[in-house]
Amino acid sequence: MSGRRGCLVRLSAHLARRLEWTEGARGRVHSVFARAVNVQWRDGRLLALHGPGPLLAPFAAAVDDEARLGALRPDMIVTVESGRLLAPGLGLSWQGAQRVDCALAGPRPCCAGAFAAPAGALPPHAPGLDSPLGRDARAALAAGIAERDPTRLMAGARALLGLGEGLTPAGDDCLVGALAVLHAFDASVITLPGIAAAIAADAEARTTTIAREFVLHALAGRFSEPVLAVLRARSRDEAGRAAARLAASGGTSGADTLHGMRLAWDALAA
Amino acid sequence: MAQATVVTRGAYHDSVALLTLARALRARPGVREAAVVMGTPANHDLLAQAGLLTDLARTATANDLIVVVEAETAAGAEAAAGATAPLLAEGAPREARGGRARPRTIAGAVRQMPDANLALISVPGAFAAAEARAALEAGLHVVLFSDNVALADEIALKRQALAQGLLLMGPDCGTAYVAGVPLGFANVVPRGPVGLVAASGTGLQQVATQLAGRGRGVSHAIGVGGRDMSEAVGGLMTLAGLERLGDDAGTELIVVIGKPPAPAVGERVRAALAEIGKPAVVCLLGRDVTTRTDGAVTTVATLEDAALAADAALGHAAWQPRPFSAPDVAGRIAEARRALDAGQSTVLGLFAGGTLAHESLLILEALLGPVASNLTGGRGRHRVLDLGADAFTIARAHPMLDPTIRVEMTGRAGEQADLAVLLLDVVLGHGAAADPAGDVAPTIEAARATARAAGRGLAVVASVVGTAGDPQGLAAQVARLEAAGVWVLPSNAQAARAAAAIAGGEPVLDRLLGPGARG
Repeated sequence: MSGRRGCLVRLSAHLARRLEWTEGARGRVHSVFARAVNVQWRDGRLLALHGPGPLLAPFAAAVDDEARLGALRPDMIVTVESGRLLAPGLGLSWQGAQRVDCALAGPRPCCAGAFAAPAGALPPHAPGLDSPLGRDARAALAAGIAERDPTRLMAGARALLGLGEGLTPAGDDCLVGALAVLHAFDASVITLPGIAAAIAADAEARTTTIAREFVLHALAGRFSEPVLAVLRARSRDEAGRAAARLAASGGTSGADTLHGMRLAWDALAA
Repeated sequence: MAQATVVTRGAYHDSVALLTLARALRARPGVREAAVVMGTPANHDLLAQAGLLTDLARTATANDLIVVVEAETAAGAEAAAGATAPLLAEGAPREARGGRARPRTIAGAVRQMPDANLALISVPGAFAAAEARAALEAGLHVVLFSDNVALADEIALKRQALAQGLLLMGPDCGTAYVAGVPLGFANVVPRGPVGLVAASGTGLQQVATQLAGRGRGVSHAIGVGGRDMSEAVGGLMTLAGLERLGDDAGTELIVVIGKPPAPAVGERVRAALAEIGKPAVVCLLGRDVTTRTDGAVTTVATLEDAALAADAALGHAAWQPRPFSAPDVAGRIAEARRALDAGQSTVLGLFAGGTLAHESLLILEALLGPVASNLTGGRGRHRVLDLGADAFTIARAHPMLDPTIRVEMTGRAGEQADLAVLLLDVVLGHGAAADPAGDVAPTIEAARATARAAGRGLAVVASVVGTAGDPQGLAAQVARLEAAGVWVLPSNAQAARAAAAIAGGEPVLDRLLGPGARG
């Protein structure tokens, strides 16, 4: 069952808790990419595995050697057993892995102004965000944030879900970016009773499985390390470098996320 | 117009693969539009608005991939849609592609190429140190093209390399030549007797191309990264590189290129050169550097002078620095000044090469006074911008590849009433844009036309870093710039001096040529 032994070197604290509490749980390999693999648990939630480095999703774990992921094929069964993830030909221990807090809750960012600097020179986002539907959706979200109006905010979020290019559609990336800024600077409107639940319900029906996972974590205030790096930057230069790294991720996913961050930032300031 | 649709159920391809697919489909002859989206409700609406929601597309659910192609003919649409699967397979993991596996790790690559002894690593900085460590552990020399590598990681990697008898070139090593093989951004230069150790990519390119222009070739060029000669790193790879070049029978002369080192590191470099005993030229670009010779080591102030001094030393000839080698410089400068009005007296330098920008800044400061720049944070009437700096390359390729930012800024230069000279570099070679002169020339023409329409002149001065053997062709690139009214000088240093003389007038020209030398 575990012919190739390896380990997780880094994983989100939230994921670590889930693994520790779910001894014997079973999942299946949901999707295999060139440099990452997603595992889906029975409750529909995902675990992403990728090579060493910053966690590219709040539900991710980094393995010590990316080549180990080559053992995984779609629909293979993955189990949690004795501190390891087991699959045919693979065993990954997480006991020594570094736990990363991917949650934005807690102290506010040290340098709020740092975010504005890189946002001044945003890279091009996906065309879908500039379609009439995309523009209307972004306008609704921005108005909802600016006016702390939960109805308009939910309408904007709903219209963005599943909209545009990419496996995680551009609208979802944009929404995740906006939620990151809200959690960092003013979470009052999205923590109103029922708001997060309503958006989560929409995500179930209106977007891809992988995009939904990002949105669900974002609603709970958890984000990838590249997103967190922008919001936790302590200087303009540091924020600029972090934004550049985020922008370089995915096809336009990073850029779409940055646009969402800028949208929320501007709306909060309006 | 005809449409064809492919729906792939439960298709999981990453966003880059989907973006690439859409571009590839749109590039096919006769294809007017290609939509590649997941089948979410919002994307159904999006397709409907675009007139692309076909009956088959309506059946797709959120985790299905929809490809709709609209083409001039039904056959064209069907052919393009039929290409979806093979195009996606090209970007799929190796297991799905069949054939020879494309390695995903350093270890996998070594298994495929057991004789390899060098790895070139170009991944985002956050991942680079781990990959470099893996390469070193596999016994490979490393060219670390990536930037944004933490200083502590750089030091640790270089110590690890030295302990294993390996070289760690970089991080941010843009250019290197190993046994005649160009790596990164590199010009086509002959092999020859000059070995270089460089803390600068475009600086190395300028010296190597200047040498090539004089028929001199390169044995090896070792890039060490911009921080190597700092106190923290201690010149670890500079010294290791010098030792290698000292031992190399094919290297007759050594050139060291960089910025001023930490004092203790500078001492160690000079001691190493003295111990090696081969003729050497040291070009560490800084203020107050004067040309001098101590034993076998010649210190020079500019990159061009480094090549000239090396050429002279190899030919056992005498050499003296001079400001210009171009013909009739004084006449060209006077002609350019006649086109300016009294209010035009500033220089704007827009550079793709960081070291070329730095060299120009030093020359302009010495001749014109303070220069504002993102390199130094300094302020002044004149400006020199390194457009390869982080602030200009967010989600955009380096300006040596992507001209967008420079084209935008060049276009605005024609509107600047006090601007006398626009100063540019154009870098050729492997890795650079296919036609960098052609990219910027139309905008130069437009900027000059804008200035003319406002009753002003605008001088545009440039140098081209390249050789006749470069893919872009040196002569063709120079000709394209000259056709746009650009004065192309033989080196970056000469271009900066010419720009200063046009903006500063007689006082500057007198300093450069002497009062009696202008005829």
